[in-house]
Amino acid sequence: MMDAFYEAASKIDSQPIRSWKERGGKIVGYTCSYVPSEIFHAADILPVRLRGIETESMEIADAYFGPYICTFPKCILQLAGKGKYTFMDGVIITPGCDSMRRLDECWRKAGDTHPGIVPDFFYYFDVPHKTTEHGIQWFMEEINHMISALENQFNVSITPEKLQSSIREFNRGRKLLQELEDMRAKTDIVISGTDAYAVTMAGTVMHRNEFTVLLENLVKELKQKKAAKNDKRKRIMVIGSISDDISLIQLVEKENEAVVVAENLCFGVRYEGAEISENDDAVSALAHAYLGESKCPRMYGKYKERLASLKQIIDRTHIDGVIMQNVRFCDLHGSENGLFERDLEKEGIPCLRIEREYGPLVETGRLKMRIDAFFERLYK
Amino acid sequence: MRPEIKEYNFDWMMCSIMMAASKTADGSLKEYQRLCEYIPYFRGILDPFVQEGKPGISFLKLFSDYMNNIVTAHDQGKKVGMTTFCFSPAILYSIGVVPVTLEILSTLGALMWKRGTADYLDYCVEQGLTETACSAQRGAMGAYLAGLGSEIDFVVCDTPGVCDTNANSFAFAASYLDKPFYQLNYPQTLSDDRTEKYHIADYRAMIEFLEQQTGRKLDMDQLKEILEEIKIQDQLVADLEELHRLVPTPLPVIYNLMIYGGRFMFAGDHKYTRLLTEMLQAAGEKAKKGLSGLRSGKEKIRAFLCYIDHYSMNLKFYDWLDDHGIAHMGGILSRTFTAGSCYLDGLEGSAYAIDTSSMEAILNSIAQMNARMPMVRSIRGQYDKPGMWLDETLSLVKMFKVDCVIYNGTPGCRNTWGMVKPYAMDLEKHGYPTHIMNSDAFDDRVESWEATVERLDEFFNVRGLL
Repeated sequence: MMDAFYEAASKIDSQPIRSWKERGGKIVGYTCSYVPSEIFHAADILPVRLRGIETESMEIADAYFGPYICTFPKCILQLAGKGKYTFMDGVIITPGCDSMRRLDECWRKAGDTHPGIVPDFFYYFDVPHKTTEHGIQWFMEEINHMISALENQFNVSITPEKLQSSIREFNRGRKLLQELEDMRAKTDIVISGTDAYAVTMAGTVMHRNEFTVLLENLVKELKQKKAAKNDKRKRIMVIGSISDDISLIQLVEKENEAVVVAENLCFGVRYEGAEISENDDAVSALAHAYLGESKCPRMYGKYKERLASLKQIIDRTHIDGVIMQNVRFCDLHGSENGLFERDLEKEGIPCLRIEREYGPLVETGRLKMRIDAFFERLYK
Repeated sequence: MRPEIKEYNFDWMMCSIMMAASKTADGSLKEYQRLCEYIPYFRGILDPFVQEGKPGISFLKLFSDYMNNIVTAHDQGKKVGMTTFCFSPAILYSIGVVPVTLEILSTLGALMWKRGTADYLDYCVEQGLTETACSAQRGAMGAYLAGLGSEIDFVVCDTPGVCDTNANSFAFAASYLDKPFYQLNYPQTLSDDRTEKYHIADYRAMIEFLEQQTGRKLDMDQLKEILEEIKIQDQLVADLEELHRLVPTPLPVIYNLMIYGGRFMFAGDHKYTRLLTEMLQAAGEKAKKGLSGLRSGKEKIRAFLCYIDHYSMNLKFYDWLDDHGIAHMGGILSRTFTAGSCYLDGLEGSAYAIDTSSMEAILNSIAQMNARMPMVRSIRGQYDKPGMWLDETLSLVKMFKVDCVIYNGTPGCRNTWGMVKPYAMDLEKHGYPTHIMNSDAFDDRVESWEATVERLDEFFNVRGLL
């Protein structure tokens, strides 16, 4: 069963995408976890979170992006320029952060020299940075505008009923993911962090119904599974910048007596965790759920809330140490990691703060050395 | 941070230097010349201002007053708000708050100290802020994080949605210092009704925040007075812009810094009005005689700084332009975008108008003005959308008869570095040779001044501009 998750989690052109296209389905890519996937599901469009894995060079991205830019959007642009995303019928760009939002111009301009890489539907979804009444109102209007744009482009109808049905379907998955998280929180370890991360990663690529069925089976299987007695592995949490590469988690677990039992990463369960109201107006429910929780440092001024939430997870999952990583030039996570490190270390929670380059773990050796040193501290 | 640096209070030190500088020209010329022999490290920044006569000296006094306000704020019973350059201080003055605008202090430090603000820049990193964060904030922020400045009462910024690195630094400072924080958030659009409503709603919420922090109600009469003064100032800037269009331009290179520096420090204050009046008078006299504002008197070429200037190493960048006969035709910092400005054809939505006829009109005016401050106006949405960075640049370069465009920023500017290459490609397509500088406007350790000059020379020579 895990093979299906790994297939979706570790390849751009994966089986779920191929079979969806073979059935004539439409695919829209998006760059940020603030885009409500339910909207696409309601339109029978497959939403696929854009990723940077499988990047082998950077010449296209370097031609358009400046040098002081996070390598994640650069990798996406490089893949787009190489034609790896031509299966997309549409792309949604959001101002998740400055590097990411400028993917809009760079991708469009790269289309002049690399014809065919810009899909017909290339849409900008403006997500505000605050959860005040006017912030939520703006976000609701953005959602409504995007719904209209999708309806016009793909000749579909996204009714409130369809949206509510999609919310219910996504909530089914959310409940199951929460069950998975509850299992990971227990001291009896039944799933590795790498496997768990592959599951959540797969959820950003697979059709939701298919994902939920697989997840249901996995949760059932794990409930039956007997954990090893006296597991002495150190329990680790990984937080920080965007990471869609399961090998980062693998690096922590491999060769170390460690298991990653929680993450606070953009691709992880961070946004999947909260259930969305099934009874309220669908657009309002989506807006409140997606924008309302300020879980990303792009929501400025909410550090204390995020610290409290982090501490809650640390307590619940019996964490021995926190690995904080940020992709170089990701000032938002990098700086917040600095504050987390100060405040968590004060409370006796060991932290490792590392800056890295995004990509196919180009710095494995250096990262491994620092992670190993961190474990030496934990096992002292 | 080195222990000896911690021995000196940052803003008092800066205040005493600026106070001394502002008085240097009060004596005789002989006294001034004698003094210069004793200030080898400060002469490079002092002399270019003093040479400009009355306006230059007034500008030094403006700095001095600004610093004095900061260091005496609490004694005067005023609150101190940490803020950013693209946030108009008018609202803060009208509620009795003294602004500590980090970029102004970073610029001052970068300009006048031999080592720039290196120690403070690095201190931020020691405390957890990323080293890739923008030096414009870090240069002064380090001092406040280290407790070497007046105590900050709250933090307010307006860059979320426009400049993440900027907003992130202010959010970091607020969390680090455990101070209240308000962020004015701008959408990616500028001028449609929906956006304007958002501007107003958010600005009003910010006023509530300021009232909570100060325990005072916003004084509408004072705000009205300040806005009326801004109207006068905007007109004076517009008059200077008209003169700037002349070939040769009678405006000295350094006037650009004085226009926006004064605005960022004292918008709505009579002091800034006085400065602009003096500048206008001096430039007007040159214009009457058909003289160039350059020291050599010979304008060879006109360059537009499409982003910000270069502030490290005294005023070497300005001197370099001057020495090469290059007129500085302004940048995104030096234009007000007040309604009626000469460059607004096709950019009407980018402008603001001040209406003080009612309380409602006053609040709307200041909210829309703030939304059109430099940077938060030009580089918020996609650069090639109507009214954004490209349109704005093209309008300005045409209006001011510009020969070439120079981009300079900081490596921390994720926003412009994310789009400057395609933007420059587009400008080249429109026939404007465009140079992208790699230096850091506030930290010469990133690229040495010598390397910066090599690249500038190369650009002007290879493109046959000089």
